Amino acid sequence: MNEQNSTVMSKVERYYEDYGIRARELKKEGKTVIAYLCSLVPTEIITAAGLVPFRIRGNVNEPITKGDTNLETIACPFIRSCFDLSVKGWYDFCDSIVIPHGCDSMTRTYSTWRYTLGLPYSHFINVPHTVSGPSMEFFTQELNTFTKSLGRFAHKEIADSDLTEAIHLYNENRDKAKALYDLRKSDPPLISGTEMSKILTVGMSLPVTEANELFAEVLEELTQRKEAPIHKAPRIMVDGACIDNINFVKLIEDSGANVVVDSLCIGTRDYLPHTDVGGDPLDALARRYLDKINCPRTYREKVEGTYEKDLAARFGDIGSLGKEFKVDGVILYVYKYCDPFGFEVPARKAYLDSLNMPVLYLEDEYSAGTIGRLRTRIQAFLEVIE
Amino acid sequence: MAEEQKKQERKKRRTATEAASSIGPMVKEFITGTIRAKAEGKKLAYTFIVCCYDEILGAMDVVPVWTENFAGVCGAKRDAERFLERAESQSFSRSLCTYALCGLGFDQWREELGEMPPDAPWGGQARPDFMLSSGQILCDPRNKWYQAAQQYMPDVPIYDVGLPYPLYEDDIEVADVQDYYIKYIVAELRGLVKFLEEQTGKKMDYDRLGELVDLGERTWNLIWETYDLRRAVPTPMGTGDAMNTMVPMVFMMGTQEAYDFFVKLNKELKDKIAKKEGVVEDEKYRLLWGGGLPSWFALTDFNYFNSKGAVFPVETTYRMIEPIYRLNMPDTNDPIERLAWRWLGYWTYWYDKAKKRPGSEPDVERLIQYIEDYQIDGVVMHEAFSCRTWHLGLIWQLNQLRKIYKPIPVLILGKDGKKREEKRELPSLILESDIIDISTYSEVDTRNRIDAFIETLEQVRKNKADLR
Repeated sequence: MNEQNSTVMSKVERYYEDYGIRARELKKEGKTVIAYLCSLVPTEIITAAGLVPFRIRGNVNEPITKGDTNLETIACPFIRSCFDLSVKGWYDFCDSIVIPHGCDSMTRTYSTWRYTLGLPYSHFINVPHTVSGPSMEFFTQELNTFTKSLGRFAHKEIADSDLTEAIHLYNENRDKAKALYDLRKSDPPLISGTEMSKILTVGMSLPVTEANELFAEVLEELTQRKEAPIHKAPRIMVDGACIDNINFVKLIEDSGANVVVDSLCIGTRDYLPHTDVGGDPLDALARRYLDKINCPRTYREKVEGTYEKDLAARFGDIGSLGKEFKVDGVILYVYKYCDPFGFEVPARKAYLDSLNMPVLYLEDEYSAGTIGRLRTRIQAFLEVIE
Repeated sequence: MAEEQKKQERKKRRTATEAASSIGPMVKEFITGTIRAKAEGKKLAYTFIVCCYDEILGAMDVVPVWTENFAGVCGAKRDAERFLERAESQSFSRSLCTYALCGLGFDQWREELGEMPPDAPWGGQARPDFMLSSGQILCDPRNKWYQAAQQYMPDVPIYDVGLPYPLYEDDIEVADVQDYYIKYIVAELRGLVKFLEEQTGKKMDYDRLGELVDLGERTWNLIWETYDLRRAVPTPMGTGDAMNTMVPMVFMMGTQEAYDFFVKLNKELKDKIAKKEGVVEDEKYRLLWGGGLPSWFALTDFNYFNSKGAVFPVETTYRMIEPIYRLNMPDTNDPIERLAWRWLGYWTYWYDKAKKRPGSEPDVERLIQYIEDYQIDGVVMHEAFSCRTWHLGLIWQLNQLRKIYKPIPVLILGKDGKKREEKRELPSLILESDIIDISTYSEVDTRNRIDAFIETLEQVRKNKADLR
């Protein structure tokens, strides 16, 4: 069954191309939509409040124009694009903006977002930089502040039972995402990287119950695929920050490779870690978002021993995925002006080198205009690993 | 390449105050002093300015190596390029913080050679015994730089100090959250003390720390009082000088030398005010340096402003103090808690003021207060391409100011109760370059923009005079 004949993949395609269509419909039905940036916003709390979380996307094909009248061009180009689309009204169905302390480009523009968009509600979540007993306690308190603040906006007291229910729903979503990833282990994979990127991106635009239904439908259909939609080719992992479009993955696949796994925000970084159940829900959410999400913005104390051991502790999840999905090479894709990832490039490369995984580092500007330059680099890399 | 740039080293910038002119040798002594200290077996720590814990380092006899300062010196001496290129060759993008890139390039070179790179500025940056990263809410590079440096110095341990403060929210008061913020900051600072005790083999002397914190608090008050003298017309000291006098403020807090420096500066400014001696003879335009770190290689631009009759009586950059007695700090004899409250109090100082003007924001309120207090005619900002920390949000702040300082006449209620018409237009200029990457700078273009800005200021001045 190919994408053209598939009902569910047509639905994914529609949600992807008209990103936010369901949130817009829900808004018309009287629901309140909470826009957010970054994987560090605990969407479980938004869902527990009875509100609709909606992850803001940029658009590499849309030139940044209006956004630049209020936001400096030295900001992360991905954040600039998100802001530009928001200012242009692409997400005018949203009632709020929630921004975490992900990076300077988010934190230092929080005021610009909240006042420029003039939304009824906004909130900043202060995520600490270290993982320790005191930082975990602090972050739990900070999530409690967010829960209370959002509850006031929603006119709802958010109970632990609401949070627990939402945690279960999101864990179910992560189970389904994991099952989708498992379809990529075969050679050739049963699902292309381009298809996967669409599905995962769309998942961030839907209420979690709808995302679960959609993922279940996709799984049901894909597991019945008799034939892989793609041919055997070099197996590539993409490592980096937030890729919220198919352009880059499609470029790699059009160049003759299969993207079989990733270490990205809209990818394994956010979709795989579960929230613990059985204890205090805010404690569990703090653990997930501060410790389990392995983002370079969070500092992890160096483990005793050699620098190589420290690299293994910091990036071991990337190495494990590489082995699990039998990758032939890694493309490290980082946006210009991205300090958290940018300062890790030599370390990430050194770690991948230590595993004998060929790596290509690309710095990009979040623009469709760079495709030609990237294609040349990717083709040369694929020739080397082939 | 490096030699050519060194040849471009510029003649000394003119300062208005003697105090400011004494800073250069002081910084040189800092840097050469760290190399001496290393040879004497003292413990050296890489660390960042505005770190909250200066007094803790002092009480533990740890010698701070201010890595941003060394990069700034490389920039000011126009000798940063060779270190930036080194960092680039290691796969660090040039779009990242150039302070960090300069430091990483230098460290990589020093570690490769096993000695200082050739002709290192002022003897070079000494190898640290440990590094203190700063997990503040601002500045990603402060959290990543030393971790990246461990690639070249894997044996040098890091302690990352979490130092958050709450961002301004309409629906949340600082008092609602301060307890858990303070608790966390105190825990982080106690963790720092423990780390330093392990590294130095010494126990913290809390009485001594208390004395240094006392001294630091008195210094904060003295700096505030001293800088406030710059309200005078003509102003006796400008931002160009403040980019020097920030040294004892942010590199020497909690030392007698810093306190004595500001006593001297205070006296010098009072003497100048008494003699009506300003930065320039004919003060025409009073400007606010409203944001952005300076281009350390182009500080003579301040002299260029001066040559046009423009002075900067006030700046937001490196004014990292507020009067302690206004910070609502609770009574406590625990010096660690006092440091934590001082930190939180500083970063939330303008929040109450913002609450009183719906739709406003602390950074904008601070600009408004300075504009009024210092009789400001225009605002200048600098956008350094490699630093998101201090250079995002500036355009928006200027747009907010334009809502208040409109180019049309407005009615103002005077102290006599009578209404009068006033034009409050406030021109602004954003300069674009970098902190130390000179390749982004054009002196001709910069000065053309300054010229055009001065013309605008003159036109606005005439318009205001016409209305009167």
